[in-house]
Amino acid sequence: MIDHYDWSGGREAMLRFGPADGPVVVAALPLFEEANRTRTFMVRILRLLADRGIGSILPDLPGQGESVVPLESVTILTMQQAFAATMEHSERPAYAVGIRSGALLDTYSLLDGRWHFAPQGGATLLRELTRIKQAETGKNLSEYWYFDEDSSNNVGSSPVEIAGNRIAPDLLTDLSVKHPWDYSMSPDIPLRTVRLESDTKTADRHVAGAPLWRRSEPGDDPMLAAVLADDIADWVRSCEG
Amino acid sequence: MRADGAVQVEDTVRATLRDVLGLSEARVAAFDEQTPLFGALPELDSMAVAGLLTELEDRLGILIEDDDIDGETLETFGALTRFANAKALQ
Repeated sequence: MIDHYDWSGGREAMLRFGPADGPVVVAALPLFEEANRTRTFMVRILRLLADRGIGSILPDLPGQGESVVPLESVTILTMQQAFAATMEHSERPAYAVGIRSGALLDTYSLLDGRWHFAPQGGATLLRELTRIKQAETGKNLSEYWYFDEDSSNNVGSSPVEIAGNRIAPDLLTDLSVKHPWDYSMSPDIPLRTVRLESDTKTADRHVAGAPLWRRSEPGDDPMLAAVLADDIADWVRSCEG
Repeated sequence: MRADGAVQVEDTVRATLRDVLGLSEARVAAFDEQTPLFGALPELDSMAVAGLLTELEDRLGILIEDDDIDGETLETFGALTRFANAKALQ
């Protein structure tokens, strides 16, 4: 079902799945191109959660999906604020589910818990964006290249284009210091991290599967989606006690 | 005989190429020292190179500086594996 939410910058669409009461999962897609590559997969997970009796919402954040707000006008903070606004008037217990850099978007929200799949830190994402830009331009770029008019065909702090997305330099600066939520921020609030087996970093669980977000053709992986939906459902139930 | 670490790195490079480029298991299994990569695999465009390097960093727990990469690094499977080995086992 298509619904809407209001935030300080306007109104955005969101998809709703499953029961209208009980705990709700608020899903965050990754930033930029990876959002397109994981949307089908995320929707599958949320439908499976609905089958397991857990409701969810998938908001379009400003600059994402059907949003009329241009990406170049948003920062990470804007997206975090909009994400938080989705649950502002709800009394239901809320749990964030973030894939990849979507894990950066829930830090501003009051939540009962956070569940992250293959979370990607902002600095790593920025390195990757810089690599893509280098490949596009054939130039070696310095650390703060996005403020450098010589290397970006842009002047001063106007948006830079990376793989078809126009992005504000402020957002890129912001990225360099953004990390997914960790326990030290609030040890009392449940946090669960799941990664692919191929990822060497620590996690509560490693699962078999391929990184869909790396593929240029939008993909899906029903088996992995089912494993993750089970994991989320069990975790939400254990948090709800 | 190669050290276990080198075999693991080669397996990781193979699996990363498979996952990032969407190649079949059989196709990457047939990769050898001389198999040409950049310029020979249409899937390996410049966008995919960015993803490949970042993914190798994650899987091998290494950090790749852009100065480390030159035209030859991605020329063949052998060259890429040697590069990854030098980074991972240093």
